[in-house]
Amino acid sequence: MADINDIKKSFVDDLNSAGTSADLQRLRVKYLGKKGLITSQLKLLSTVPPEEKPVFGKLLNEIRSFIESEIDAKDLHIKDLERGRIIASGAIDVTLPGKYTLPGRPHPISAVLREMIDIFVSMGFDIEVGPEVELDFYNFEALNIPKDHPARDMQDTFYITDDVILRTQTSPVQVRTMERSKPPLKFISPGKVYRCDADVTHSPMFHQVEGLMVDTGISFSDLKGVLEVFVHRMFSKETPVRFRPSFFPFTEPSAEVDIGCILCGGRGCRICKGSGWLEVLGAGMVHPRVFEMVGYDPEVYTGFAFGVGVERITMLKYAIDDIRMFYENDIRFLRQF
Amino acid sequence: MRAPVEWLRELIEFKLSPENLAFRLTMAGLEVEAIERLGDDTVLEVNVTPNRPDCLSILGIAREVSALLDVPLKFPDFRIKEENGESAVLVEIIDEDLCYRYAGRNIHGVTMGDSPEWMKKRLEKCGMRPINNIVDITNYVLLEMGHPLHAFDWDRLKGSRIMVARSRPGGKITTLDGTERSLPDDALLICDAERPVAVAGVMGGADSEVTEETKNVFLESAYFFPASIRRTSKALGLKTESSYRFERGTDIELLETALDRAASLMEEIAGGKVSKRVDVYPRPRKAKSINVRYEKVNKILGASIADGEMVDIARRLGLNVSRDSSSFIVTPPSFRTDLQREIDVIEEIARLYGYEKIPVAIPRVPITKEAGDTLHRHVSTISEFFRFAGFTEAINYSFMDLRMLDVLNIGSGDLRRGTVILRNPLNEAESHLRTMLIPSLIQNLVYNVSMGSRDVRLFEISRVFISKGEALPDELHHVGALYVREKAPSLWKEEVPDFYVVKGVIEALMNELKVDNYAFPRSSEPFLHPGKSCDITVADRMIGFIGVLHPDVIGKLDLKLTKPEILVIEINLEELLPLVSEKAKYVSIPKYPHIDRDIALIVDEAIPASAIIDQMRAYPSDLIEGVSIFDFYKGKNIPEGKKSLAFTLRYRAKDRTLTDSEIESLHDSLVKYITGKTGGIVRGV
Repeated sequence: MADINDIKKSFVDDLNSAGTSADLQRLRVKYLGKKGLITSQLKLLSTVPPEEKPVFGKLLNEIRSFIESEIDAKDLHIKDLERGRIIASGAIDVTLPGKYTLPGRPHPISAVLREMIDIFVSMGFDIEVGPEVELDFYNFEALNIPKDHPARDMQDTFYITDDVILRTQTSPVQVRTMERSKPPLKFISPGKVYRCDADVTHSPMFHQVEGLMVDTGISFSDLKGVLEVFVHRMFSKETPVRFRPSFFPFTEPSAEVDIGCILCGGRGCRICKGSGWLEVLGAGMVHPRVFEMVGYDPEVYTGFAFGVGVERITMLKYAIDDIRMFYENDIRFLRQF
Repeated sequence: MRAPVEWLRELIEFKLSPENLAFRLTMAGLEVEAIERLGDDTVLEVNVTPNRPDCLSILGIAREVSALLDVPLKFPDFRIKEENGESAVLVEIIDEDLCYRYAGRNIHGVTMGDSPEWMKKRLEKCGMRPINNIVDITNYVLLEMGHPLHAFDWDRLKGSRIMVARSRPGGKITTLDGTERSLPDDALLICDAERPVAVAGVMGGADSEVTEETKNVFLESAYFFPASIRRTSKALGLKTESSYRFERGTDIELLETALDRAASLMEEIAGGKVSKRVDVYPRPRKAKSINVRYEKVNKILGASIADGEMVDIARRLGLNVSRDSSSFIVTPPSFRTDLQREIDVIEEIARLYGYEKIPVAIPRVPITKEAGDTLHRHVSTISEFFRFAGFTEAINYSFMDLRMLDVLNIGSGDLRRGTVILRNPLNEAESHLRTMLIPSLIQNLVYNVSMGSRDVRLFEISRVFISKGEALPDELHHVGALYVREKAPSLWKEEVPDFYVVKGVIEALMNELKVDNYAFPRSSEPFLHPGKSCDITVADRMIGFIGVLHPDVIGKLDLKLTKPEILVIEINLEELLPLVSEKAKYVSIPKYPHIDRDIALIVDEAIPASAIIDQMRAYPSDLIEGVSIFDFYKGKNIPEGKKSLAFTLRYRAKDRTLTDSEIESLHDSLVKYITGKTGGIVRGV
């Protein structure tokens, strides 16, 4: 019968030199297998004198558990190391750029138009649209601009025939909408409009957002409120707004709406021609004649209308000084917005 | 209107600096667009809106200042020395509907010469060129009082007669700018006993004009019907200081004062003798009264202006006012032709009260019951979709160069030839409205390539205009896109032909919009590569196309690309959007597992993959859940003229778990069926 302490000592040496799961398996066989050193000792138990049996048996069992748990512990440790190695070897260079399709950019006019639409829609305005090739009647006559009226000089018109034109404003949408619906009405009509004019600040096609609100008891002070909210949300809460008298045939009283120059903060610069103010909107109370033309009673209903040029606002917002840039569609320009 | 401050001060006293005056005028609706220093004077450039012809004069602006500052006006002071005896001229208004009043005076024995310096200076400050004393006086009074006058050389008028009448067809006149002009129909003319001597209100005739030799003058001061003057001026393409004022409406009462003012200046400056006035005024103007309700004023403005303040504003404006308990009645003077109804007076009150004093309020209006605009929402979705697929948004003019349709080989019977034509285009290339979007995008490509860009991916959502002979054309929303990318070295390789990249965008879009039942049959668009293009159909209706531009088309473009493959897309959104389903359809998740089986086929190259998939789908078994294609190969190991396609078939039963043997026999018979149908063979067996 070998000295159990020798077995233990040799196991500890073996364990220390074991480096892999396979080494450990061999150790398991060597000590705990059918013909293993511990198993062989257990077989010898019957030859031990009865009075020594309990002590010897206990000793053997202790060393057996010791070997088992040591092998298990080392096995766990080795497997951890191996997993660590595998994970480490799978490392990639996370600093290489990812693969994606670079999104295109919205056209600046679209982006600003959407911003405006969102502001008015959030204030409860609906959206109405209408034809761009329009009857002279809806574009002018129904808006209190008869043929041979000098107010027609305010807008150079593209003609298709005597009676058909490219709309010079989105106001005809207001007339068409009023013709088919009854008040209360509150909507904007965004879209393309056309004027026979082209230079650095005039484009033969441009975009407008016009708005209309009609109900009983709508007043000029409501108009001031709505447009002030618009300006404050479009620019900033601090942007000053002023209303001054003007003339549009389809509104009365009419107003031009100026905002404090957003480029110089009102001190006066090239863009605001030194005045500190920028003209950005036209507005007014709907002319009773326009209501009469669509069959609304101006004694019952009142309303206001306004119009804003999208190109104008976009040019101010991004300090773009040539309106033609918008329609060249130069990728290098478009990608900036 | 240019207004020298020095001249204004002659008619009204004020202490304001020119800048402050300009501010007050601007805030009252007479926008001062520029303040110009000229020597020791300042000239205000006033933008007079079309409703205020009364402000097209120094007197008119002074009147505004008078109302604004509540300071009395100093009317120009003059005295006329009349000769005794009747005027020698016989005036007859034939067309009283176009000429409401015609007055004149003869001034005999004038000495022609230069005007005095003070007059020349004022004319020049107002942007007018001095000519001679007689003409200058008419211009001076025009600027001072806003009423146009015309001086004829009396000795060149025949028969001592003036007739005011419409033109007759075929009439001609040489105007004093030396141009012979055909007279438009219905133009109002001033004629002597024999011929037209002036186009009324627009320009005088050359052979009755005042010259250095003139001795005797006939001075005209009249009121012409505004719309008639405007029509004539437009038809002749002739816009003058005179026509500008007449077409806006002149002061019918002031015309005699203007006449007398000019006549007195001619007497004073040119030494002429002034005859008595002839004045034909068949139906004198009747002053109109307007009832203005105090309550209405404040209701429209949302203000609380006191009754007395309203009346005071009306008085300051020179309106005749009589008060009542709930309203006041105003009678506008003859120069305020714009004041016709209550709202016009309300605007005047608001204007002088000050817009800035009107309170700011937020309206309360009922919420909308109807659903909003879906077009706008869908357009936003599609626009965002193209953006995230790598396309940048373009916006082009709605105009098109008709030659682009020739470049694209669009045939004469094609609907896209139904263009709307502008009568007054800015230029030939912008004379038609677009019937499709890709011509503009192609032009954007040419431009961008010329600027050095080699990666041009653009889309546009806009209307196209198709004329079918009705008064108004069809306006159709389209989305168009263009894709050109020169291969550049890139980190992560992906060898997908451009056509499939672009087609993938459309397939993904259909998925996003929940549109199914779409297909891509070969296209016969004349501008697309016949082998590399397809139509987009939904439920067998063609809604657009995808394809590579035909090499012949590219050949016609001025394009400097080495190996251009230009992909274009255009979809008619009017056809697509109604098919968009707004609601997702819930289908319960399958309870039983699926089994996938692959099949690789070698078939004739000409057989489209979609045909094979359709046939598999049509195979009569309800266990086939789906077919997808996972490999396409041509080349080594595949015979010439053939291609290899590999498909995955997904089998599933709704009510049980399928067994391998069950699927084995189904799959085998499907393989047999499909090889039979396509004449193909199974690859790799």
